[in-house]
Amino acid sequence: MANHNRQIETLLNKYWNCETSVQEEKELREYFSQPGLPEELEQYASLFTYIEKEQSVTLSAGFDQRLETLLKEADRKKYVTIRIFAPVLRIAASVLLIGGLGISLFFISRQHNKPWFVETYDDPNAALQQATYALEKLSDALRVSEEASIQTIQTIDNLDIDWTTLDSLGLDEVTADSITSVATDDDTPKGGTILSIGKREGSI
Amino acid sequence: MSIDSFHTIILPLKDKLFRLAYSIVKDQAEAEDILQDLLLKLWSRKEEWNGIENLEAYCFRATKNLALDKLASLTLRKTVIPDSEKEALYFVDTHSPHHEMVRKEQRTAILRSIEELPENQRLVFQLREIEGMSYREIAEVLSISEELVKVSLFRARKRMKDLLTGYGES
Repeated sequence: MANHNRQIETLLNKYWNCETSVQEEKELREYFSQPGLPEELEQYASLFTYIEKEQSVTLSAGFDQRLETLLKEADRKKYVTIRIFAPVLRIAASVLLIGGLGISLFFISRQHNKPWFVETYDDPNAALQQATYALEKLSDALRVSEEASIQTIQTIDNLDIDWTTLDSLGLDEVTADSITSVATDDDTPKGGTILSIGKREGSI
Repeated sequence: MSIDSFHTIILPLKDKLFRLAYSIVKDQAEAEDILQDLLLKLWSRKEEWNGIENLEAYCFRATKNLALDKLASLTLRKTVIPDSEKEALYFVDTHSPHHEMVRKEQRTAILRSIEELPENQRLVFQLREIEGMSYREIAEVLSISEELVKVSLFRARKRMKDLLTGYGES
């Protein structure tokens, strides 16, 4: 018995230091629930009996039944709500669908009816005047560019190029070899500049 | 899966959850209300359970929060009066009248000092002593570290020890 008490004391020390397992704590509770404890251990009994008592606190008897009724009620409520709202939702969905289709059809048909040309002038004379003005502007621009190209051609003529050397390069039958020979030829830089001048003047 | 887990995971916890709520609000009817609310809420949101990692810990946390909310909303906090009927049943034993008296006094003192414990310590004490949960489980339920669980439990137990040793000496 004394040995057992010492065991309990060791266990109790472990308990205060939070080193006991759940099982050992159960042993302690069991030990302290029996009558006739030694004086030095009696003082701790009330803690363990308190714990045991708290463990026996349970739900009142009617709880399960009440819960079951409530759960069933909750389910039924859910079912009812679905039944009330489903037809309304269906109607809303169909209204939306028809409305959407109608609106899109309306816009599509309106787009098809759009004319390609729209008459913007009421007075034919004003329209003629505008058209003439626009065409004159166009011909003006064409004339300027024509003059520019003529000038370019004249400049090229004035440069006094020896066309026969250029022709003798045989540019008509261009091969890979002839291109490399052109690149190494002394005359080519000259030809290159001429071509670039012509280009620049033409673009003015 | 949902309805099954309600019956296999959640319902078996109902006594534990109830005791947790009870340890906070100290009122049978209020604690049952809290549990009922929780279970109804869970039932009506079956679809969301799959997103919950640890349903068990979630239930404990939810109960704890609901109970603390309830406690805050109770304007008049009821003082703990030990149920005389249960008391009589419990102390029917064969202890000497002196021991019986001391135990009764100690019990009231224990109740009071548990109530005075900081929230974390009280919850850890409750989950360990009453529900016999492992440190890991408690840490998960309260979402604190295992280390903190041990420290809290150590402090709570030390307080009980000091209280009881003081009684023995006086």
